[in-house]
Amino acid sequence: MTDLDHGYPGLETEPYGPPSGSLADLLERVLDKGIVIAGDIKIDLLDIELLTIRLRLFIASVDTAKKAGIDWWETDPALSSRAARDALAEENAQLRQRLDALERAGAQTAGAAS
Amino acid sequence: MSGTTGAGPEVPGIVCAFAVTRTPPDAAALAAARGHEEGGPLRLVRAGGLCLVVQDVPAALFDQEALTERLNRPGDLERCARAHHRGVEAAAGRGPVVPLPMATLYRGDPTAARAVTDRREALEALLDRLRDRTEWAVKVHAAEAPPEPAAEAGAQAGTGAGAGGRAYLSRVSARRRDRQGAHDRALAEAEAVDAELRRYAVAATRHRPQSERLTGHRAPQLLNVAYLVEDARRAAFTGALARIAAAGRRPAVRIDASGPWIPYSFARWDEDPRFGPEAPAAPDREEVRS
Repeated sequence: MTDLDHGYPGLETEPYGPPSGSLADLLERVLDKGIVIAGDIKIDLLDIELLTIRLRLFIASVDTAKKAGIDWWETDPALSSRAARDALAEENAQLRQRLDALERAGAQTAGAAS
Repeated sequence: MSGTTGAGPEVPGIVCAFAVTRTPPDAAALAAARGHEEGGPLRLVRAGGLCLVVQDVPAALFDQEALTERLNRPGDLERCARAHHRGVEAAAGRGPVVPLPMATLYRGDPTAARAVTDRREALEALLDRLRDRTEWAVKVHAAEAPPEPAAEAGAQAGTGAGAGGRAYLSRVSARRRDRQGAHDRALAEAEAVDAELRRYAVAATRHRPQSERLTGHRAPQLLNVAYLVEDARRAAFTGALARIAAAGRRPAVRIDASGPWIPYSFARWDEDPRFGPEAPAAPDREEVRS
C-alpha cells in the first residue's frame, strides 16, 4: 500500500481543474462534500432540498438530451413498464434455470450411460 | 488584509466563504479570479494561523429564500457551482485547501473567522492530510454491448435430441444466463478496476452511482469512486488508469475518469469533530441514500 509520508518539496504546484469533469461530477462534490461550517445564516442543503435539486438537475439533463434528439425513454414504451417486466423476467429466469439444471443433470446421466 | 479591498463590511453584509487554507494566495492571483458573478472581488479573512477566501455577496440574492429558489433553477445552480469551484481554485494556488460546501454564508467577517478558529484543530489536521494530494474521479459503466456467446447456446440446444420446445426453452434460458453472466462479469471487472486503482491511492471513497439518465448512457454505472492520490504517485496512478482503460483489457466495462480535482471528497468529517476513517465511512452513507 502507499506509504503516508508527506512532503515532496520539489513539486511545483500545478493548476487544478477537472478538464473533463461533468457538471454532475462538480455538483456531487460541491454540494455533498466539504466540511459544513455552520454560519449564522442557516442555509442547510438538507436531503430534501438536495433531492429537489437532483430532480431539477435530472429534468435539465432530460431537456438537454431532448434538444440533442435523444428521447428514447419517451418513445420506448417498454422502458416505462420496465420494472414490472423485470420482475416477470426474473421469475421466468428462475424457473428456466431450474428446468435447465434438471435437463443438464438428465443429459449428463445419459451421456455417462452411453 | 481583509480591509484592503475597501469592501470590508462595517455594515453587515453576507460573506460567502469558499475554502480554508494556511497558504493564502497572493493578491494578484486573488484579483484575477472571480467568484460569484453578482458579488465583489475575492478577499482574505485571517483566522488565527488560517485563512479564509471569501467574497461579499448581495443579500437580495443570497438570503435563504433567494438562494433556495435560485439553486432550484438548473442554470443558476450550475453557475453557482462553477463560481464556487472558481473560488476554491483561487484559494488553492499555493498549497492545500479545505473546500467548504457551496453556499457557506456568514453575516460578516468576525463570525466567519470565529467559525474557523473554533474548528482550527480539525482544519489543520485536514490540511495536513490533503497536502500534495489530489482527487481523481473514476466511473465504471457496464460495456454498452456485452458479447453474446450465442454459438455455445446453439450447441447446447442441439444436444436436446431435436425436441423443439425444450430446445427453445434451453436457448431462452441460455440467453438469460448470458445476460446475467455479462452483468456479473462487468461487476467483477469494476471491482477489479477499483482494487487495482486503490493500490496507487492513499484513500478512496465511493459516491452513489449516477443514474443512467444523468450520465446519458444506457448502460448502468457500476462504480463512482473518488481516489485521493499523492502528487508523487500521480504518474503511477494515471499510468495504471490508462493501462486498465486500454481497449481489450476489461471488455465488460467502460471507464471514465477526470482529474486532478481539489480533494473535495476527502475534506469532510461529518458530525464528528475528528474527521472519520479514510475510506469506509462515506460509501455506506452514500449507498444507503440512493
